[in-house]
This record gives sequence, structure tokens and C-alpha cells, in this order.
Amino acid sequence: MIPSVLYHCPCLSTSPVPPPPHLPSSSYCFHPLYTLFFCEECDAIRCNRCVSVEVSTYYCPNCLFEVPSASVRAEKNRCARNCFMCPICRNTLTVVASDPPDADAGRLSVPVSTVGEPPFYLYCNHCRWDSAEVGITFEKPTGLAAQLQKHEDSAPDSLEFDRLKEHFEPFIRSSLAASSAHPASTVHPSSAAHSHHLYSSSITAAASAALARDIPGVSKYTPLSRSTSGRGGRDRSVNKDEMPEYRSRMDITTASTIGTGGGEADVEFMKHIETINEVASLEQRWGSSWVTSLQTRDLKPLRIPLHSKRSKRCPVCTHILIKPEQKAQSVRYKIKLVAANYLPAITVALPHMYPTTETVKRALAKSSAAANDRLNAALHPGETYAFHLALTNPLYDPIQVRLATPRVHATNTSTANQEKSRRPPFGVSLPTSPFTVAAFAEAWEYDEDEDMYWTDEEDLGGGGGGGAKSVRDRDARTKSRTKAVGVLEKRANTTIVGGEIIIGKEARGRLMFIMLVQYTYRSDDPVPSESNEGEGNEVKGNTGKGPETKTFEFYTVVDLGEIEG
Amino acid sequence: MAPTRDKFTIHSKAVVCQDVELRGDITIGSGTIVHPKATIYAIVGPIVIGSNCIIEESVIIVNRRKEVMRIGDDNLFEIGCRVDSPTVGSFNTVSTRARIHHTVRISSYCIIGAGCLLAPAEDEVLDDYTVVYGPAAERRSWSGRGRVQEADLRRKHVDYLREMLPKFNRVRRGDGT
Repeated sequence: MIPSVLYHCPCLSTSPVPPPPHLPSSSYCFHPLYTLFFCEECDAIRCNRCVSVEVSTYYCPNCLFEVPSASVRAEKNRCARNCFMCPICRNTLTVVASDPPDADAGRLSVPVSTVGEPPFYLYCNHCRWDSAEVGITFEKPTGLAAQLQKHEDSAPDSLEFDRLKEHFEPFIRSSLAASSAHPASTVHPSSAAHSHHLYSSSITAAASAALARDIPGVSKYTPLSRSTSGRGGRDRSVNKDEMPEYRSRMDITTASTIGTGGGEADVEFMKHIETINEVASLEQRWGSSWVTSLQTRDLKPLRIPLHSKRSKRCPVCTHILIKPEQKAQSVRYKIKLVAANYLPAITVALPHMYPTTETVKRALAKSSAAANDRLNAALHPGETYAFHLALTNPLYDPIQVRLATPRVHATNTSTANQEKSRRPPFGVSLPTSPFTVAAFAEAWEYDEDEDMYWTDEEDLGGGGGGGAKSVRDRDARTKSRTKAVGVLEKRANTTIVGGEIIIGKEARGRLMFIMLVQYTYRSDDPVPSESNEGEGNEVKGNTGKGPETKTFEFYTVVDLGEIEG
Repeated sequence: MAPTRDKFTIHSKAVVCQDVELRGDITIGSGTIVHPKATIYAIVGPIVIGSNCIIEESVIIVNRRKEVMRIGDDNLFEIGCRVDSPTVGSFNTVSTRARIHHTVRISSYCIIGAGCLLAPAEDEVLDDYTVVYGPAAERRSWSGRGRVQEADLRRKHVDYLREMLPKFNRVRRGDGT
């Protein structure tokens, strides 16, 4: 288990203090740094759980065609061009021509430059499945989807689906009108402000109306909106009055005979299985939109499902946090406010977990108990371990960092005593005085820096470059013995600080603790933002003298791994 | 088990690069291409390779048995695969980094997918048109459609290599010449 640092996102909660990390229920609010966003307007961390998401483009991952959102629904979220997936192994299928007829069937003669001829068929390069096995061949190698369309449209499932759509059409239209009259405020109070934006398209409007509606016969469960029961009741009456009874195209009890799966036909098939390969696996079947046959030999090529590019907005100020470029080929972003560009990146390492060549040699030579202990990567109760925190500054200005380990449990008074007794008994000591992390500079600026070369060599060298490494390691070792807690090393825009953890005798489970990171940076705009109410993350710095500074604080969870008893 | 003497019989039309590790009694047929850094060990019994095969870089072919290991015609052994099987038919493809133990005999038109490991405890014969694919080395049977075009492509591949390889590599000759 590699030690890790996760960042806390308050997710609009009123208390900025994170829940105790050792509770399994707390996992929802701690995220790795690379998944987080940062809203400049609100000066707050945003995570994938609290942002509002919009689809900006639909595209086919195979042909990279951007599908207009109008036709996404008509094409049932799948590529309507020439992209097909192998029903056996999910590989992309290619169109190939048939072999010319064999002159002599016995010994295979290899003619020079054969030209394939129609009929064409789909062929999987990976598992050698081909569509001729299920009787699908094409007269010409273009417009395959159109050629297959007739096949698909005549399928009983598809016909039934169209009929259902037709049936619900008037209802969707009427509920759409209703939802535009009463904008649904059931999602979250804060999202109501920009609901006009969210429900701009008719698809989302219909979907949200459907989600907000109460289902007859199912008891209401609306944890987010407790005051909408009246509205729900009204909806239900609408439901009852306006829906005529739906009659299916065919009786479900007879459906199994036409290859839609289920029923007697499948039972009969399952009774006579000889090899497991005859049965289509779950992976092979659930990629299909319709119910497919249970038999592997009946599986049809699948149109490739579309992917989407999504842009995300801050839930409070509705400013865009991330917005990809419209083109499917492009992997760039028009707007990208990711937390990694604002918050210092923190990595944690346990130096005793990395035995160097030096320590290995020493262990072999002395074979003393102490050396063996050093090599052991596990954490044991009753021991003291040093750990290194490397902070990397992404900002173009140097920052002042202060670390602290707040006692989270002291705040909730009711269960404080109970919690304290259950808490894994360990003590963390961190450097208390603030330290600086140098500004980020573009890589070429410190290319000349020989310190950088040295580190590069060290990284690449591995076992080979043992000389410099072991010297440095011994250096670090003696340093850590004398001064385990404090700033250990400053290199480019990274500062490594050492901390120490004392594990109690009875400690068990994961060794995790909350660390509050406070950093002060030079602010560009002189006016302090007013949007920090409720967030509580931003503390205005000393405004009186010198350049304007700001302080931002956030919580992290440092996970050092499992304590082995 | 006395170690066999090195004896290489290489057809004059075969292209075997200089930087190839050969050991034991090996016969290489007409038009076969052996790329540099390939390894062919006939530890006990001899190895006979047919015509128009392609043996790519760092392929390892080993015969651990007493009887002759026969490899047919038009086989493709892709980079880094390892084949110990005592017989290999014709028109087979062994993909990159696949591994076949000496318990498996391969018929013709088989395709062993990239990275697949075939190591059954008991002797086994892969039928014609067997396809082994995926991380779990699943098997299915190929219909054989498109094999004429594939064979044609294989021929062109061999022709191209026969022309290009000697331009950039020293070529090894058999003991006879």
C-alpha cells in the first residue's frame, strides 16, 4: 500500500471541517488532487460530486464524428456511421471483402495479388469473428449502418420501443409544459438559481420532470425536497387522468419464441449446453441495447456507443470550471480551472519503505536486527516512524505554508469522548513554523540548475547510480536522526518537510490523519473577494502593508498505510 | 542425452541474419526469413522449419524433445513470442509475446493472440482454425473466411523482407555453402 494524500472538498457543506477519515463513510469527501477543480470566483475547491455537468459534444470514439445532439436520440446513443463492435470481444470491426472462390478446394493455392470481391462482411482482427457467421453480409462496403438499419428496425424490441415512445409522446409534451410553468426546485436550493440554464434543452427538461415526478404506488422518498409533497400529489393525479392504457404489440409470453430471450426457449437451450462457450457471457450481452439471445452464435455486431465531452460548472456561482474544445479530435480545453494549478501538490513518503543499495548491503553485512527492521516496509505498533511530505508549488509566486493537524473530534462535542477512545492511538508531529515553497518556473528556466541534473540522474540511475544516492541517503539519514521534524530539503519549486508519527501500542487499522494546509500567496487583485460567505475557506491576509497577500486553507487526509499488528 | 552437434542447413533462398542464435541441428527451408536477435535452440532433437516462414526479432523457438520439431510453411512468429510446441502446421500466426509450451501441437491456420499463454498440463492439439485471444486465452474457431487474402498478404510480406533485410543486415549461410 503506497502512502497517499487526499484532498478534502467541502461540497457546499456548512461545516468546513472534514469528517473523521477513518470512518468508511467519509470516503466521499476526500479526493486525489488531479480530480479536483478550483473555482476562482468562489475561491473554493470543487469536486466531481458537487459540480454541475453539461454535455458539450457527443462523438463516436471510433470515427470521431461529432453527432449533433438532435440526432443522438434518434440514433439511440450509438454511432450511425460505419463503426461496429465485435460482439465477442468488443474490438472494432473492419469491413473486408470475401475471398475469390477457391480454384481447387484441397491444397490452398496462393494466388498473387488477390482482389476481394463482394459480398463484404464485418471482421474482427482480434478474435476472428465475422458477421457472415450470423448471416450479415453487405453488397457494398459503404453505408453499412443504413444497410443494417432495416435489420434493426424490424426487430420486435425496436418496434415495441417505437410504440412505447409514441404512447408517451403526449404525456412528455404535457409534463414539459408543466415543468416549464413550475421550474423544478427539487435538485438543490443553490441549483435553482441557474435552473433556467440546466433545463435549456427539451431532453433535460423531460428527464428532470420525469425524475421529479412521484411514481404511483411507490412511497415518496425525497430527501432533498421535503416541501414538494403537494406538487407530487398534483402530478400523480395528472398521471392517472391522462394516461390511456398501453397495449403491447405482442404478448410477452409468446415473445421468447422469436428470439428475444427469456421463457421456454432459453430453458430448453440451457438444458442442452455442452460447452460453456455456447452461452454468451454477461459482458457480451449487456452492451446491447435490446435483449439479446443467450447463445453466443446469435450475437450481432453492435453499433459503437457514443461518448460525450462534458463541461462542468461551479454549483454556487455557475462559472465554468472546465470546458473541452468542441472538436472531438482535440484533447485540449478552452477553460480549465483544475485544483492542481492552484493548490500545492503534496506527496507523502515513508523513507523506511525504500531500502537503498546501501541499506541492503549494510543489512547483509551486519545482519543485525536493527537493519532488518529498517528494511521492513510495514508499520508496527509501538514504533516511531519518520515521514516526508513533499510540497510542490504550482503558482508563479512563492508561497508560505503552515501545516497543522487539527483535532477534528474536539468540535463535535456530543460524541467526542466516545470517538476519542475509539480513535487509533497515534501522535503526529509536524513542523509548526511556516516555511516557503519557491515559485514554479517553466522547466527550461532551471535547466541550468545542476541540482536538477543531479536529481534526474538519481531518478534514472536506480541501482546503477548508487554512489551519489547512497551518500545523499546517508546524509538524509543522519539529518533525519538529528532533525526528523522540519524542513529537510528545498529544490526548485518543491520543499520536503519531515514529520514524525508515534504509533501507540494498541493501534490497529489504517494510519490516517487529517492535515490542515494553510498557505499565503501574493494576490493579484487588490480587492478581496466577497463571495467567501458560507465557504469559510478564505481568510483575508494582512491588508495594511506591502503587497496584498491572501491565505487559503484546505484539509487533506494523509494515509500512511495499514498498521500491522 | 548427449548434446547434439551444431549443424545448420539453410536453403539458399532463405534469409537468416547473422545476429541469430542457433544451436543444434537446424534446417531452414526456402524463402524463410529469420530476423536478427531471434533464437532457435535444438537442444535435443533437430528443428526443421518449412518455407516462407517469418521469424521476427527476439523470437525463441526451442525443441526440448528427442523427435524432430517440424514447423510447416507460411507461419508468422511475431516479435518476442516463444514456441516450444513439437509440431506447427502451416499458415499459423503466433502474435507478439505469446508463449506456447511443449505440450501443445498446432495444426494449421491457427492464431495465437498477443500475450496469450498456452500451457496445458497434458498434451493437446489445436485444431485447424483455432483462435486464441484475450488476456484469459479464450478460444474460438475461425470460419476461415478471408484466408486467401491473408495468405496473399503473407507472401507479399515475405517478398518484401527478402528484398529489404539483406540490405541492412549480414546474412548467414548454411554449412553447405
